[in-house]
Amino acid sequence: MIRVYVDLSKCQHYGQCVFEAPNIFKLNDEDKLEYAATADDSELLNVREAIDVCPMQAIKLVD
Amino acid sequence: MIVGASMGGLRAAESLRRSGFDGQINLIGAEPHLPYNRPPLSKDLLAKDKTLADIAFPIHHGELQANFVLGNRVETLNLEESHVELSSGAKYQFDYLVAATGLRSRQMSFPNNLGRGRYSLRTYDDARSLRDSLAPGKRVVILGAGFIGLELAATLRTLGCLIDVVAVEAIPLAAILGNEFGDEVRRRHVNEGVRFHLERSIVDLIGTREVEGVLLSDGTELPCEILIEAVGSLPNIEWLSGNEIELSNGVLTDQTLRVMSESGTSYQHVFAIGDIARFPYSTRSLPARRIEHWNIPIESAKWVGRQISHHEKPGSVLEFKQGERFNPLPSFWSDQFSVSILSYGEPTLADECLLIEGELGNEFIMGYRRAGELVGVAGIGMRREVNKLRGEIRL
Ligand SMILES: Cc1cc2nc3c(=O)[nH]c(=O)nc-3n(C[C@H](O)[C@H](O)[C@H](O)COP(=O)(O)OP(=O)(O)OC[C@H]3O[C@@H](n4cnc5c(N)ncnc54)[C@H](O)[C@@H]3O)c2cc1C
Ligand code: SF4
Repeated sequence: MIRVYVDLSKCQHYGQCVFEAPNIFKLNDEDKLEYAATADDSELLNVREAIDVCPMQAIKLVD
Repeated sequence: MIVGASMGGLRAAESLRRSGFDGQINLIGAEPHLPYNRPPLSKDLLAKDKTLADIAFPIHHGELQANFVLGNRVETLNLEESHVELSSGAKYQFDYLVAATGLRSRQMSFPNNLGRGRYSLRTYDDARSLRDSLAPGKRVVILGAGFIGLELAATLRTLGCLIDVVAVEAIPLAAILGNEFGDEVRRRHVNEGVRFHLERSIVDLIGTREVEGVLLSDGTELPCEILIEAVGSLPNIEWLSGNEIELSNGVLTDQTLRVMSESGTSYQHVFAIGDIARFPYSTRSLPARRIEHWNIPIESAKWVGRQISHHEKPGSVLEFKQGERFNPLPSFWSDQFSVSILSYGEPTLADECLLIEGELGNEFIMGYRRAGELVGVAGIGMRREVNKLRGEIRL
């Protein structure tokens, strides 16, 4: 199990993470980011890609 | 050997390790800082009291096992003998070389070429010195109405500075996103109190010891305490010269990002990534181009890390297919006041530009077509819709 954290005060809701890990991140009807705080280990690589492409450095993996 | 320790360089090192490379990695960087994120420099970093720590990229040193040599520039490359020489005099041999030295701000030269009161913005140190000189009520002239000039105008206006933007074009961003889009951005700046002096340039500076104003090509004098030059950038390629590498406007590469010689052959062990790389289209017969967007260092670095691991141990990189070409989708965003622009593809290729959704004056999306095919989209707001159109772009 992995735990994902997004600092929503940093996030600018560009949705770049959505393309890398669509099972974890999505933009809702108001263009705001929603995400799953926990996910299966198989999502680890996708989440790491999402961390790399987030322009605001808002995504973290929590141990 | 990775030259340039910014986002591109760091991501290349990470990609090497993630794809199984177990050799030594040296990262040489001219700046004294570990890699950090540049986009906040023109936005948050000036507006809020943030420090380098807030924009530094997280680095897992244990995993990366890379040797950072900072505050040192590579002065010369000797390709024949596979070594580089640093400003410190140190020499490093290499098996593979990745050029990731990015750009520097272009500087103007004036008859009265004063130094004090002039700024440009590319590095954290640039941002620091600009921030230290700012205060509400200061008069700031920004030369250049590209993305960085406009972002600075918005950030400094929000801080209470008085902003005059001088630019040679008639409509800001028109060359990139078209007249209607550019006009819309200009209008929003004007609403916030930014003054534009378009189709003009600065012909001289006024002042004796420091900048007290600028003289425009139409004879207008604009008093100011601060002049910021945001007139584009130049590729840092000097260290590569003397090796027959093709260096017109950046470093020319082939479809795999291997650097090319003046006679048109590729060097198997030398790569270029990020802002400095001029790479060919994979499907269009158009001249190779550089793309100065944030996602290009990321994608090109990832690609090159895998290429090198594959070259070291063929077959080791599973997802890499032989004959595959580097074909990224450029993506770009920009924040100016409440305007947030999100764009994909290459709108500059278009021969036609049309409103896809929304309305000018509010939130909207423009589509850019070339011979009927969608080559780019750009929107103010409507991010989810812009993101949806991403998949329809053909480059
Ligand atoms: C103020 C600002 C705002 C931006 N905002 C956005 C934005 O909103 N959206 C967007 O998409 N993009 C934006 N960008 C663009 C984005 O930041 C760049 O595309 C990205 O930084 C390029 O990364 P790079 O690693 O290729 O090059 P760079 O980040 O330029 O790094 C090159 C590094 O190499 C070093 N170097 C140069 N010569 C040598 C040498 N001879 N030896 C050793 N080291 C050397 C340099 O000092 C530098 O540290 C912005 C850029 C700036 C400056
Ligand atoms: S990429 Fe980053 S800034 Fe963009 S929506 Fe995801 S978390 Fe937010």
